[in-house]
Amino acid sequence: MQWYILISLGALAICLLSCLYHFFRLVRYGAPKDFSHKLGNTGAAIKYSFTGAMSPLKKESAYLHLPTYSAGMFYHIGTFLTIIVFLLQLTVIRFPVVLTYIFAFILILSAISGTGILIKRIVVRRLRKLSCPDDYISNIMVTLFQFITAFLLTGLIYQSVYYIAAAILLLYIPVGKLRHLVYFFAARYQLGYFYGWRGSWPPSKKY
Amino acid sequence: MVINDNKEKALSILSRGDGKLQVHLNSCVRCGLCAESCIFYLSTGEERYIPARKVDLVSSVYRRYNTITGKLVPGLVKARELDEVTVMEMVDLLYGSCTMCGRCTAHCSVGVDISYLVRVGRAMLAEMGKVPSTLQSTVDAAIRTGNNMGIPVDELIDTLEWLEEDLQDDVGDSSAAIPVNKSNVSILYTLNPREPKFFPLSISAMAKIFYAAGESWTLSTKMYDVTNYAYYSGNLNEAREIARRLRDVMYELNARTCVLAECGHGSRSFRWEGPNYLQSSYSFETITSVELISRYLKEGRIRLDKSLNKERVTLHDPCNLVRSGGIFEEQRFILENAVSDFVEMNPYGYDNYCCGGGGGQLAMSEYGDRRLKAGELKVKQIKNTGAIIVVTPCHNCVDQLMQLNQVYKMNVKIKTLAEVVADALIL
Ligand code: SF4
Ligand code: SF4
Repeated sequence: MQWYILISLGALAICLLSCLYHFFRLVRYGAPKDFSHKLGNTGAAIKYSFTGAMSPLKKESAYLHLPTYSAGMFYHIGTFLTIIVFLLQLTVIRFPVVLTYIFAFILILSAISGTGILIKRIVVRRLRKLSCPDDYISNIMVTLFQFITAFLLTGLIYQSVYYIAAAILLLYIPVGKLRHLVYFFAARYQLGYFYGWRGSWPPSKKY
Repeated sequence: MVINDNKEKALSILSRGDGKLQVHLNSCVRCGLCAESCIFYLSTGEERYIPARKVDLVSSVYRRYNTITGKLVPGLVKARELDEVTVMEMVDLLYGSCTMCGRCTAHCSVGVDISYLVRVGRAMLAEMGKVPSTLQSTVDAAIRTGNNMGIPVDELIDTLEWLEEDLQDDVGDSSAAIPVNKSNVSILYTLNPREPKFFPLSISAMAKIFYAAGESWTLSTKMYDVTNYAYYSGNLNEAREIARRLRDVMYELNARTCVLAECGHGSRSFRWEGPNYLQSSYSFETITSVELISRYLKEGRIRLDKSLNKERVTLHDPCNLVRSGGIFEEQRFILENAVSDFVEMNPYGYDNYCCGGGGGQLAMSEYGDRRLKAGELKVKQIKNTGAIIVVTPCHNCVDQLMQLNQVYKMNVKIKTLAEVVADALIL
């Protein structure tokens, strides 16, 4: 096995261990405890939290910012795709050529979306004021890795470059806000549970 | 401003082994998409009022003391010391520019419970003795006298006695009563101290509804205050003490149901937060008066003639009752039966804008101008409905709306739900 693959495997192990640490820490804290009398349906609300509540029909942060929301969706689809591609690269499974080009196309689009989000962060004053170096670094790393993955799939770069880029990104994930890979799901769960307990979610059908 | 010895205690709040806390402290991605959800940002356009800035204040302190990156390279993740500058900013933003309405929470792109983190930040400030003195004095009055306005028991009894006489005249029945300190009743009813002090007619309205429903109920002179401003100040011990008193009166009087007066944060703090403050479930039922009136209507215990309320009515949904309390259909069902012309605001219900009076803002006079400015959005909403009457099941909201009415010359009447129901009662 090539040295760069070994390095990326090491980085993957560190990243996974860190994510698992965060995940199991949350599991250890257990389900939310509430002594009040439950009014609603927490199961239905958690489901709603991951579905209806995220839709641009309901979420103001989505429907008031449709271009950013769409770019964000694309960007995250691309990110998950890079993870799948990376994991499959480590196996003997290879994609049909046509699929490789479809993936590359999606990744280019998502990387362009990521670039757009980065530009917005730099240009919009209120976002700039809110941001810290981690915000820029995280975006640049993920966006670059999407471009690099697309180039790898189309044979435009060396494998070594790809694996080293993967290793750097994997090592950075536990450092900053990219940890929301774990926390996003936990936050939606917690919020769904909270609103479900109190009967606010799912919202009344009359709403 | 000097950071006192309790800084360590304040910081220990952030390292609590609590899943909800740890999740929300770690989840914000600083996308800034919550900006337009907040009345303070929308009404002023000031960047510092963006909800994410309030989240960041608390979570940046968390990062500084609880994450490896924050300890080693604080600049990378904007990890902040809990120093005087941070504390001053926390006081201004967490107390002075947030009503804890939770509108941003419901719309956050990730699902960060922003208002919960504001409350965590306030709890830290309370540990350091940084609660604004105006808000603290309201809590102190409640702890010292049993109600946040410091109304003496004699004064309360006097008020209730003349209200009882009025009720008897109104319903034409000399046995109609406002019972006090009766045990083994179905309902212990609570009051917002603003009622006996400034708005006694809302007590009459509720008493008339109880009379029409033939209810077995009582008030307690020992503990009738539904409010709990310690929920807003962030002082957990004081919040627990206030909740404990009301719970204990329920047990002493052996009442079956505690009915919470029209007060958003009061309902929230006793029904939802109280059992958690006390770490035990209540063995009695706790509902809001909104749910009770709706129940009476559904069970046919009261009948209404909506032609008695002809003017156009709109509804202001108190954030703590709707978004954080799940009471959405009941007030609408009541109004459909109590008034002839009901029109919703836009947005309404779970999405309704806060009036600006929540979060203890009404008690903190130092932020009064900001509060009235934040209410501008509500004024526009109300004006757009063309309503003559604004109904809201919350005395805090009533107070803020009355002030907005005066400042922005809305020319509307502000009423509680019980008042419009009492006006439409068929006896
Ligand atoms: S919308 Fe949520 S994740 Fe985005 S900045 Fe606001 S609080 Fe943070
Ligand atoms: S809770 Fe309400 S007032 Fe506070 S930041 Fe969020 S939207 Fe603004």
